[in-house]
Amino acid sequence: MARRKRNILAGIASQSCKLEMTPMIDVTFLLLIFFMCTLKFKTLEGKLSAFLPKDVGVNTSDAIPKEKIEIRMDIRTAGAKVKPKGKGAYTQEDADAKNRFVFDDSRVIRYSIGPKQTTDLAEVERTLKTFFAQDPTRPATIDPREGIVVTDVVDVLDIAMNVGFKDITFVGSYEK
Amino acid sequence: MNLNKHSAETDMEMDMTPMIDVVFLLIIFFMVITDLSQQDLEELEMAVAKNAVPDKPDPKAPPRPILNVKHTGVMILKRNTYFDPEVDKGPKKYQRLRDQLYLIAQQMKKAPIEPGASRMVPDDPLMIRVDASTDFKYVQDIMKECGDTSISIWKLQIGVKVPQENAAKK
Repeated sequence: MARRKRNILAGIASQSCKLEMTPMIDVTFLLLIFFMCTLKFKTLEGKLSAFLPKDVGVNTSDAIPKEKIEIRMDIRTAGAKVKPKGKGAYTQEDADAKNRFVFDDSRVIRYSIGPKQTTDLAEVERTLKTFFAQDPTRPATIDPREGIVVTDVVDVLDIAMNVGFKDITFVGSYEK
Repeated sequence: MNLNKHSAETDMEMDMTPMIDVVFLLIIFFMVITDLSQQDLEELEMAVAKNAVPDKPDPKAPPRPILNVKHTGVMILKRNTYFDPEVDKGPKKYQRLRDQLYLIAQQMKKAPIEPGASRMVPDDPLMIRVDASTDFKYVQDIMKECGDTSISIWKLQIGVKVPQENAAKK
């Protein structure tokens, strides 16, 4: 009896034991495909800090308001919508599919700074530099009107920051 | 001369070890470079600003709320839509966004409105990532909601794209 038991154990020990690799390889490949599909390369993004008034509704300060430089932005020519990266005209199908668009070069924005009106961003910069030279503490206000998109505002904001303005505010929505 | 040493029926085993090694290495590579903190970022083409500060959030700080605004005006926060101009209409169109901003404001670190004052307001920023082609009125509306006394999120960051030459320098 004991000899028989020993023989059985010896038989088991001598059997080659193989690890089943297929499920592990399946799972590994699945993981690999998952990570490849969800991969998003890190892109360097920037930020522009903006501060809203903290004391809305409870303003009790007696600060003397400074005269602001108002930069009003109106659409003169809206321009045609085109697909980004010069991929042709923006069609009705693109609009239905809610695809992205950009405006072509025919887009013209009118910038009004005080009595001065221009459609040239370089002229806006020159005018802002003149105002800044007169009083560097003067706040600037950007007043974007109907149809103005974010990139139009960022262009002006970028110029104002480049000139040196620290106190830049936005006029509230034109929609009432 | 018998050139064919192995018969067609011989059981040939492929050595899987190098393949598994390579696959595991690839998995580790993708796990390391996949930044899960970017899962809140929607695919947007943002406006370019030369004077933008590179956005490098502190990895030790708690995750910052990021509000994405698509070119259609759709506002997305953590993969959930809180405003869709085609769905949300009327005077309370921003109610869902307002409720969410209120919750975010509650979770933010607070600081006195001015030194010595008892009224506390959120002291953490809200990042707004906007597509370059988005109508600016949506940003103005977000600012209006943030400025509401029940929310009072006053620190905003507007996401922009850093020009290639600036990015190379930084």
